[in-house]
Amino acid sequence: MLRKDVNDLLTQTGPGTAMGAMFRQYWMPALLAEELPENDCPPVRVKLLSERLVAFRDSQGRCGLIDEFCAHRGVSLWFGRNEEGGLRCPYHGWKYDHTGQCIEVPSEPEESGFCAKIKLKNYPLIKIGDILWTCMGDADKQPPHPEWEFATVPPEQTFTSKRWQESNWLQAMEGGIDSSHVSWLHSGALNSDPLFKGARGNKYNQGDKKPFFEVVEGDGGLFIGARRNAEEGKYYWRITPWVMPSFTMVPPRGDHPVHGHFWVPIDDDNCWAWSFDYHPVRALTREERKAMQDGFGIHVKYTPGTYRPLANKDNDYLMDRAAQRRGETYSGVEGIAMQDASLQESMGPIVDRTKENLVSTDNGIIMARHRLRKAVTALKEKGVAPPGVDPAHQRVRSASVVLPPDQAFIDACKEDLMVRPGIKQSSV
Amino acid sequence: MNAPTLLNSCAKAATAAEARFRIDYPNSRARASRIIALDDKAAEIMRRIEGELWSGAHFLTFRSRHAAPGIASLSINATLGAPNGAETKLSTELAGADVVIMIASSGEGMEAAAAVGNACFVRGIMTAGLIVSHDRTDAHVERAVQALRPYAAVLVIASDEEYVPAMLQALRA
Repeated sequence: MLRKDVNDLLTQTGPGTAMGAMFRQYWMPALLAEELPENDCPPVRVKLLSERLVAFRDSQGRCGLIDEFCAHRGVSLWFGRNEEGGLRCPYHGWKYDHTGQCIEVPSEPEESGFCAKIKLKNYPLIKIGDILWTCMGDADKQPPHPEWEFATVPPEQTFTSKRWQESNWLQAMEGGIDSSHVSWLHSGALNSDPLFKGARGNKYNQGDKKPFFEVVEGDGGLFIGARRNAEEGKYYWRITPWVMPSFTMVPPRGDHPVHGHFWVPIDDDNCWAWSFDYHPVRALTREERKAMQDGFGIHVKYTPGTYRPLANKDNDYLMDRAAQRRGETYSGVEGIAMQDASLQESMGPIVDRTKENLVSTDNGIIMARHRLRKAVTALKEKGVAPPGVDPAHQRVRSASVVLPPDQAFIDACKEDLMVRPGIKQSSV
Repeated sequence: MNAPTLLNSCAKAATAAEARFRIDYPNSRARASRIIALDDKAAEIMRRIEGELWSGAHFLTFRSRHAAPGIASLSINATLGAPNGAETKLSTELAGADVVIMIASSGEGMEAAAAVGNACFVRGIMTAGLIVSHDRTDAHVERAVQALRPYAAVLVIASDEEYVPAMLQALRA
């Protein structure tokens, strides 16, 4: 259960909100690099943290993320012509460069310098990995560039997709740290999904449906360990890191690529679920990459021409009751990502957490909310930079290991939970 | 039949407008939560919050180590201290309990964790362990983890005591 005022505090991320101020401290994924594939390509509408923006890549390859609407009459610059070093509004020809600076107002004498007085709000766009990242806070307080491992390994070792989720970011993110749902909702996937099946750890998952949990604070957020029985009195641990505000990783399986998510608010009712897969020490195989492109693992099939999942609420997520009866899927929805998204969207855009009945195994979620609230308050009242901004906090990994019963995962796996260049993930 | 089912479809049901029609009624009854401090520091933390408004939680301190050795050896006869200073039996408190949350701040409560944990296990009562320490690398914390792990279905190591009321509120204690 969460009080309404706290629920509002954590779920509202628009301009002027406390949580919005916190999100604006970070570099966040804004677009896939493929969305701006070449110089002078079509501009792209972007909405982040309840701000309507347009992204474009100019004739020199500079990427801009600026206010979507022309300062003249409020026309959307998505209709703009991206040409000769700027984005020109098709209504009256006003033109803007990648910083949002107006560089041409055709109706005014060039000598008047009028255009110098017009500037649209802009945010930086930097390319790291497959992603164009933005930071929507004060330009003079930008944090160091992000150093997430999935985005900094060589391109052949990583794959990123994104999908539109029609719910608030918090309920999506909470799914990423809710380890206890995996044995139920995703139980069918361990045997069939090409990016999951075959790992030794799967049998521990399937053999012990009542895991024990340990929740430990880390510098950037949390480590949530799920403990199941293995052979000879040992324990199989699956350890999920959460880094504030919205980065989660899934514990790996065998030598499959490691995957995880960013949950980025579009507005208070929608978010982007960014999904990545990477392998720390080897290229993804052709089969793995194809499986990801085909929507297996944590990725989805798309409605053509969009980043909206093919299975979505307009078609009841392609619910298949027969597959549910046969046991192929637990909920009747196909695919791990949409199994999660369908249920999270069913809660309504912003779930009323005053009606919840949390239980002890929800302590990862309870602790995450507690830490978010503390960080938001510390930023608002004392200007304290929140955890997760420091790149050192970003150098984390998930892990799955078998340990003797007397070992605490947080100590025994200290190195396994850190990025170690050139060393593969710890995985069973 | 996979086609959307018109008025029952998710497209309509999952909107903010429809969320307003979620029935407003108490969907749970009060839980019987027992919060047991296993050591002196944990008892101090508990004392600071036990006066707040709770939904029936019993705040208790493990005391059996002060009891006669013969009695203390039987875990179910362990004694607990209530906020008003009265003593109560572990068996009495566990009767009808839904969840037991053990709070520790050092490794002193191994005997207490075993007594409470075993008694809960045989009764099928959910257990959670909460270790509060500013320094996770402290040897006391490690001892507390070792003490609680066998008996807690969920174990949390929190760096600040503000988490104790936050967790209890979240669990409707």
